[in-house]
Amino acid sequence: MKLKYLKKIRVAVSLFFFIIITSLLINPQKNIPQDIIIFFTSLQLVPSILKILFYIGLSSLGLIFVLLISVFFGRVYCSSICPLGTFQDIIIYIRRKINKRKKFLYQKPNYIFHYTFTFSLFILALLGFVSILNIFEPYSIYSRFVVNIIEPGFILINNFTSSVLESMSIYYLFNIPIRNTDIFVVLISFSFLFLIFYMSYFHGRLFCNSFCPAGAILGIISRISIFKIVIDENNCTECGACEKVCKANCIESETKNINYAACIACFNCIKVCPTDGVVYNRPKYINIQVNLSEPSRRNFLKRAILPAIGVFLIENNQGEKNQLEKSNYFRVKKQPISPPGSQSITHFSNLCTACHLCVSACPTQVLYPTFFEYGISGLFQPSMNYTASYCNYDCTICTHICPTGAILPQSVESKKLIQIGRAEFYKDDCVVVAKEKECAACSEHCPTKAVYMIPYKGKLKIPELNNDLCVGCGACEHACPTTPRKAIYIIPNQIHQKSKKPEIKKQEKIEIPEEFPF
Amino acid sequence: MKRRDFLKSAYKASALVGAGMVLGNFDSLLFSQNTDYDLVAVKGGEPDVMFDKAIEALGGMKKFVKKGQKVVVKPNIGWDTAPERAANTNPKLVGRIVEHCYNAGAREVYVVDHTCDEWQRCYKNSGIEKAAKDAKAKVVPANSESYYQEVSIPQGKVLKNTKEHEVILSSDVFINVPVLKNHGGATLTIAMKNLMGNVWDRRYWHRNDLHQCIADFATYRKPTLNIVDAYLVMKTNGPRGVSTDDVVLMKSQLLSTDIVAVDSAAAKLFGLKPEDIRYLNIATEMKIGRKDIENLNIKRITV
Repeated sequence: MKLKYLKKIRVAVSLFFFIIITSLLINPQKNIPQDIIIFFTSLQLVPSILKILFYIGLSSLGLIFVLLISVFFGRVYCSSICPLGTFQDIIIYIRRKINKRKKFLYQKPNYIFHYTFTFSLFILALLGFVSILNIFEPYSIYSRFVVNIIEPGFILINNFTSSVLESMSIYYLFNIPIRNTDIFVVLISFSFLFLIFYMSYFHGRLFCNSFCPAGAILGIISRISIFKIVIDENNCTECGACEKVCKANCIESETKNINYAACIACFNCIKVCPTDGVVYNRPKYINIQVNLSEPSRRNFLKRAILPAIGVFLIENNQGEKNQLEKSNYFRVKKQPISPPGSQSITHFSNLCTACHLCVSACPTQVLYPTFFEYGISGLFQPSMNYTASYCNYDCTICTHICPTGAILPQSVESKKLIQIGRAEFYKDDCVVVAKEKECAACSEHCPTKAVYMIPYKGKLKIPELNNDLCVGCGACEHACPTTPRKAIYIIPNQIHQKSKKPEIKKQEKIEIPEEFPF
Repeated sequence: MKRRDFLKSAYKASALVGAGMVLGNFDSLLFSQNTDYDLVAVKGGEPDVMFDKAIEALGGMKKFVKKGQKVVVKPNIGWDTAPERAANTNPKLVGRIVEHCYNAGAREVYVVDHTCDEWQRCYKNSGIEKAAKDAKAKVVPANSESYYQEVSIPQGKVLKNTKEHEVILSSDVFINVPVLKNHGGATLTIAMKNLMGNVWDRRYWHRNDLHQCIADFATYRKPTLNIVDAYLVMKTNGPRGVSTDDVVLMKSQLLSTDIVAVDSAAAKLFGLKPEDIRYLNIATEMKIGRKDIENLNIKRITV
């Protein structure tokens, strides 16, 4: 049976996903339709497992699809959908070009470490330390790298090109402001990708088979998958070619044994076999015993479903923290503000894998990656930065594209009624009080008129708050011109509240002048 | 009349007409009597129809735009709201102005504003981007400081220098197309306040006496023409507004080359006295324009 084409298909599919996902993450002009973003990110395993806990919708089909193809074809997810997997394959490809002599060798699978590690990641996640899961979640490692390092580079190139065009009076491209970011986020994003680079250069898919939580879950499924790589004893000449190209180190050519938990279905072995001795088929059609001795299904239950239930419980227990008291404290020490749709700081922080997809898709750049603002359990998770910008009143993009359900989908109408924080006014710093001049920048920008102007001295007017209407979008804080401190701040709601809908009377008013008043 | 005097004056007149013809200003010379208005006020029609009538009364766009010139049309595109909310200039009006500019022989017409809300959403949802592009205008971004260049304002009292958008700086003709609105800090936003969208740092204005800065910047460059859109007028909760409840239908439009006069007339149309608006008082003191509209030559048109 000629199966050499399988590798070509795998390479084509993996590059397709790799390029698409990378472009989605860069999304420089913020014009990629959100449905396309949702479609491709819903295929990411760990985020989708988290998301399905709180939201079942079209995006859940992605998870079902991934599980189904794994049941049928083994870990094809790891070899074609996972962007970090393809990234490693590219490194391995380059390495092979540089050093042709270096070969892979079979390595005894270290199930115990990989499963214990994955299990502890989920246990820690349900105890609230989701950040350790985030650090090892493959899609998020890759996306953090793209959003924090590749995207700014892309923006620089864009801005250079646009300024060249601009000097010729061509305004096809436009300048994109480079977002504020934390240097630690950049450094750690880079160093983790560098570690992956190192591991893949010297040890193939070591990360995928030792640390990756998605790899562990899919490894269990892949043991029982319907189609498998099998060595056909009738054709095999024991040349060992397959073992040497196996980047997952899962083929032992001497014993003709394949470690299915580690096999990522890359089909390199099929391509390289000179005698069609490696085939991809249902094992029962080949006269070979497949070792299925591991209690795989029970492990799967333990390792994947239990932690998921745990996250549920934690969520419900922690949901009763009270809103923090108002104080000047917030003006000194920054508190994270979670985006609308994230329900509460706890919900957000427990589910966000810090993939920064929302950061790159946010049209106003109000979302930015934090380093430590959510504490040790929420490293790198995004928060609202009202110094840089403010949340657009009519925009819901982050709620739809969040792959983990940390931000749950909202309609424009429901989003407009979510209060993520409340405005706090510090009169003494206000231009109207300090300089006795008109300003009203805060009230101007307020989309609901939660900040409105009331008479002050003489003809002067001063801001007044009606926080029932406040959505916490930060427009007032962003617009406030005072330095070094703003006179109006948003204080985060630990649990998001419902704001009042501005009253609308809907009557047509006509005042066409009979005669001009001049 | 003595014959010599007659000859003299006839000679002068013919020389003048001749010179006028040579300089291509034939139209304006012939009709100067009819089009020499300080202000044109129109009411009762759609924004584009009213503009056709108003610009005709002023002597046509050719009076302001010469062949081969670079024109910038500066509407108010401050907010991510739909046209019926009247937070931005009416898109139909912007489109029609661009058409008139091209018909008058403009080389290029640009449309630009430094928005408050996210600029791409403002350009799109205001309907102005589409209307302007349909009329073949170039819609230019203004979202990054790199588009702005330092300018000094010699007559400014508080605002002595600022950064203005390069496309406006390099234009031959600058047409200011504000929408008339209620405004929290400036009382009303009309033509003078609309110029705030030409500059990068607006917080400086808010921090350092907004009204004085508005007047200061009006001394920097006099717009070639000011066209005030008062088709739909936001009466409360300005400048962004909360809903269409804030808006009334006025079906009016004002045109003038005098920015203070057009703002004063618009204030009256809104139901305020020009004296109620501090920047208009400052502008009159600084002799930027005339607030005493009762003494102006006004053309009133009903469509």
